[in-house]
Formats: sequence, structure tokens, C-alpha cells
Amino acid sequence: MMFLAQLLQAHPEALPLNPIARWEWVFPIVESIHICGFTLLVGSIVILDFRLLGICLRSQSVSRIAQALSPWIWVGLALQLTTGPYLFSGDPHEYVQIAAFRNKMLFFLLAVIFHFTVIRAATTPSADSAPLGWRRPAAFVSLGLWFCVLLAGLWIGNL
Amino acid sequence: MSFMRICQWLGETSFSHHLREAPYDFPVLIIIHIITIALFGGMVVMGNLRVLGRALRSVPVSQVIEQFRPWKWTAFGILLASGTLLAASDPLEYGYNVMFWISNGLLLIAGVNALTFRFGVYRSVAEWGSAAEAPSAARRWAGVSLFLWIVLIFAGRAIAFF
Repeated sequence: MMFLAQLLQAHPEALPLNPIARWEWVFPIVESIHICGFTLLVGSIVILDFRLLGICLRSQSVSRIAQALSPWIWVGLALQLTTGPYLFSGDPHEYVQIAAFRNKMLFFLLAVIFHFTVIRAATTPSADSAPLGWRRPAAFVSLGLWFCVLLAGLWIGNL
Repeated sequence: MSFMRICQWLGETSFSHHLREAPYDFPVLIIIHIITIALFGGMVVMGNLRVLGRALRSVPVSQVIEQFRPWKWTAFGILLASGTLLAASDPLEYGYNVMFWISNGLLLIAGVNALTFRFGVYRSVAEWGSAAEAPSAARRWAGVSLFLWIVLIFAGRAIAFF
């Protein structure tokens, strides 16, 4: 490590060691995995919210669909929590200055918290037989929050 | 008329000029395109995973496929429209972009693959759809479909890189 640090200090013009900052083709590949990840994560959550709203899979109880989708939501989340920070690591000083990036992080945090608190409570087996009530607006809030995450995320690239 | 001439002609139309030069048209189209992938790509993925026996195992295959179908067709329509407009914004750029054609080729193969399922093994879904485990022909189809859509995301993203 010491040797590497000395080497880098001696050659400030040397290529960065982080592959994503070093080679330009790494970014689009990691970003593609990030797109697959959000398709899985947001796609599963949209199906769950749609079920809550009674739009699809009505013959199955909400809790059953929630249970069936849960592992895929976790896989999607794991993909995003690995590829996301890695994309960020390529140019952290640049990203923190972009408002869209900061908004995305805020919406992402809110969406994840909302999912594991409110949506989780709305999709427990004990809630299955109760009238929809507050769970309808909850599903809309969830859809809205994830939409904002995607929107802000896409906007990062347009600045 | 050669392909080059067609691209040039299309690129010179005022419609194409507008798409290319208006400040928000292109980003808005990209946003519509990718958000549609996120919202409804999940239904394609979950449909495939269900046939593979990896998700929603307690729900009969026909229910997953039939109930997602209208949403998938809506999404496909939006993707086709926004994708066509994106391509029309700079025909000379995309017409000669190898990744653009690879993406379209993959889309075509994915479409043919979906039709072979729909009018092949899916016709007997009543016999096997309730089981958690689908017949191997159906599972093979779902594996190919999942693979094609993932490759298509990579190829689609790579259009901007080439």
C-alpha cells in the first residue's frame, strides 16, 4: 500500500487505480447491471403495489404475493447497493455536487424506509381480511417515491 | 434510394430537427423509455421467473401471464413509440450505430421467442400451469427470454457508448 501511495504521488498524471475511473467501458457495463437491478427491485415493488390496489393477481392474498416477491426485492436491493456505490466511487466529488444525485439519495432512503415500514405493515397476513383503507394511499405513495428515485437518477446523467 | 439517403432525408425533416435541438425532448424521451422498462420490465422478469419456478410458485402460470399481459403490451407500445422517436432524433447517428442494430435484432429475437411460447407450449398451460414446476420446454423458453432481455438492456445502454 505504501509503495502504491508513493507511486501515485510521484506520478499524479498516472491513471487512477479504480477500474471505473480508469477505463471508460467499465461505467456502461456497471450501469447496465444497475438498470437490471432497478428493473428487478422497482418491478417487484410495482407488482406488489398493484396487488395492494387490486389491479392484478387478485385471486392470491396480498400477504402471499408479498412473501413470494420478497426474495426478489432483496436480490434487487443487493444489486443496487453494490452497483450504486461503485458507480459513485468513479467520481465522488462530482456526484455530491449534483442536485439530482442528492435528491435521488433522499428519495431512495425514503422509499426504502417506507417499504420496510408502511408497505410491510400493509402486506402482513393479519391485514389481508381488513378493508383496504389507508393501504390504498400507501400503495400510491410507494409508487410515487420509487418513480421519484428513477426520475432523479435519470436526471443525473442529463446535467 | 440508399439507406444513407433515407437517414439523411429523415434527419433533415423539421420533426427530427426539433427532437434533436429542443432542450428537453431527448432527456424526456429517455426518461419515459427507461422508467417504462423499470415499471413493466418487472412483469416480464416475474413472468419468466414464474415459469422457471423461481417466483410466485403458488400462483398458476396462466394467471401471472394473463394478468400482466395488458400492462406488458402497454409498456411495449410506450417503449416502441419512445424508442422510434429517439431513433428519429438523429437517424444518421443511430442508422450507423452497430449497437442500435444489435439491440433491434435482439428485440426481434425476443419477440419471436415470446410468440413461440405463446403459440407453442403455452397452449397446453391448463395442464401444467398450476404446478410449481413447469415442463422443461417452457422452462427453456423462460430461460432464453430472461437471458435475451438482460442482454438487450446491456446492448441498449451500449448504443450511447458506440
